[in-house]
Amino acid sequence: MTVEMNASGRRFAAPLLPLVVAAVSILAMSEPALAGDGDAVSAQPAPNNVTNRELLKKLDAMEQRIKSLEARLKQKDAPSSEPKESAATGSDAKARSKPNKAVAQGAAVAKGATASIASSDQPANAEQTGKAAAPAGKPGDKAILGLVDSPVPGLAIGAYGEVHFGAMQNPAAGGQWQLGSDAARRFVLLPTYDITDNIIFNAEIEFEHAGSGFDNDDKLHGTAEIEQLWIDFKISDPFNWRAPGIDLVPIGYINQHHEPTEFYSVLRPDLYNGLIPSTWKVPATSVYGTIADGVRYQVMLSAAQEDFGDSFDCRTAANTVPPGSGTTPCTAGGAAYFPGIDGLNALTFSNPPLGDFRQLSNSLAVSGRLDFMEPAALPGLAWSMSAYYTPNTTPRGAHGDLGNLLGPSSLTMFDAEFRYRVPDTGWEFRGEGVYVTFGNPANLRANNDSDPTDNVGKAMYGAAAEVAYHFPLGTILHSEWEAVPFYRYTYEDLQTGGFAGTDLNTPTGAGQLQFHSVGVAVFPSPNLVLKATYQKVINRAPGGAQSDSALGGVGFFF
Amino acid sequence: MTEWIRWTAPAAVVISVAAPAYAVQYLTVEEAQKLAFPSAHFTEIEAGRVWKASTGGIFVFDHVIGKHLYIDYAVAIEGGHVRRVDILAYRESYGGEIRSPSWLAQFVGKTAASPLHVGGDIRNISGATLSSLHVTEGVKRVLAAYGQLR
Repeated sequence: MTVEMNASGRRFAAPLLPLVVAAVSILAMSEPALAGDGDAVSAQPAPNNVTNRELLKKLDAMEQRIKSLEARLKQKDAPSSEPKESAATGSDAKARSKPNKAVAQGAAVAKGATASIASSDQPANAEQTGKAAAPAGKPGDKAILGLVDSPVPGLAIGAYGEVHFGAMQNPAAGGQWQLGSDAARRFVLLPTYDITDNIIFNAEIEFEHAGSGFDNDDKLHGTAEIEQLWIDFKISDPFNWRAPGIDLVPIGYINQHHEPTEFYSVLRPDLYNGLIPSTWKVPATSVYGTIADGVRYQVMLSAAQEDFGDSFDCRTAANTVPPGSGTTPCTAGGAAYFPGIDGLNALTFSNPPLGDFRQLSNSLAVSGRLDFMEPAALPGLAWSMSAYYTPNTTPRGAHGDLGNLLGPSSLTMFDAEFRYRVPDTGWEFRGEGVYVTFGNPANLRANNDSDPTDNVGKAMYGAAAEVAYHFPLGTILHSEWEAVPFYRYTYEDLQTGGFAGTDLNTPTGAGQLQFHSVGVAVFPSPNLVLKATYQKVINRAPGGAQSDSALGGVGFFF
Repeated sequence: MTEWIRWTAPAAVVISVAAPAYAVQYLTVEEAQKLAFPSAHFTEIEAGRVWKASTGGIFVFDHVIGKHLYIDYAVAIEGGHVRRVDILAYRESYGGEIRSPSWLAQFVGKTAASPLHVGGDIRNISGATLSSLHVTEGVKRVLAAYGQLR
């Protein structure tokens, strides 16, 4: 750091005096250590007369005094010293005019440290720099978890996480209300490293349900997974390349922006719990950029969704589904396997595997989005349109329980959504529609799995509308709080009829869903949210959905 | 695997040709100065950070963290009021929407006494929440530190 600063001259000049004061402070703090030293003892005041605290008080008083003197000096000197400054530093201006990483890092140091680099020949600037450095020393600016400056230039580590708790109806227990919690629903570390200004590494490492351990005393049953991993090549504003890695499908808004501070309900918005299989992460590469002011695009090529929703172990070594026929589950050595696409869970179980070359087809998918924000006519509005297409979701060797082989079926999805924060008011409106259509539903496993209730028609769709209001709560515990009460209505139809395949067709109506979600999200700071949500779930099954919930949540993102 | 290569190889070629010509930097400090005070010449009063315009006014170059990486921005102040805010460099993949002229225009006229509160007098940008928040905080900081400078 010192070397870099010397090399960059007086770029981040700071007052000498505070540095001296800081040095004296450090000496004062080290008094106990010095006390045992024979030479130092003579320089120490009698230990029982002056304590560290008193010394620090005196130093504080000195610092205040120095500051006021500096201010007075500055008033006297300012008019005459500024031209002199320019002469001294003007030649450097050109060299600095192109900010580079070193400058950025230097600035960070200047921000983070209360005393930046001393420059004895800039007395007139001392106060200005001191002033700038002081307010800039905010902890939120630090690159490592918002706490400390990065030891490696360009490296930053962020994090987000969610905790859920409360009561839910359990449909498997006849709708009984059961208390529970997911004490670490997810905790995600977000390392970012700008290898150069144009080549940026990004990852999300996610721990779900408090981790993954299977010993009896662990009482864990979670996952640790790589949710995102890619390197961006920033080539030009309209064209950047994201190298093959693991990335989020650019559909809708919440899939790519799924941090808990981005939505107000405890659980993710319902459209993203199946119809859009969030967190929808896939092996992928993409290009993206800005086409015009406020218009961005992304186009992704990825591994296709798979109509296979059973245990990973049921994949054969040949990367096929378990061959054969019958209704014995593959986990019990049979040939029957759960579908990836079905009329009850939509696309929840259809995500392709991320590792080990274990995908079950050669199919690729293309997806893309167009983002629009801040149109001149309607400031505060952001909206997007996105689509996904794969020519085939049928895995190798796919078959029905009767042994009938299943041919290909395409999957097409369209999404349109908007978020509108009405300027100068607390109102916010969000809306979204998703439409999924299947090329040949007769080839979907759900329609050939001897289960007549999970059949899939030609299409699935859903729509949601949400209204929220932002109330400032004033300053509490040194931060500005905000409360956001909201209501969201969601309608989904995952079984639109016209079923094909070998199954009997007796869906129960569980695929026609309505969600009423009402609650409040309280933001003690924009990085932290406390949530409470009540959700009523209605479907057309004889017993009803039996899935209501009253949940609390804590979310953070920094 | 060959399918990946088939698709990505052309992109790689484009990159190797185009990369050296481009940085994520949209404006140099000099260009931003010219946009803020077109006819002025500048006197550096704090190395690499603060300049005084000959026509009156202060130009401050600063950085904030967006989500993870630095955003370089500049604030031009005249008579204690913001004259112009520009984003000089934006490095992250998401959140670049803060470069929107209509969003940046909201800062014009703000003073050290303005609330500068995202969701209040400054609109939040959905999808660029942290970037909009941190740039707003940055402008507030710059105004607090240099707003009184003449």
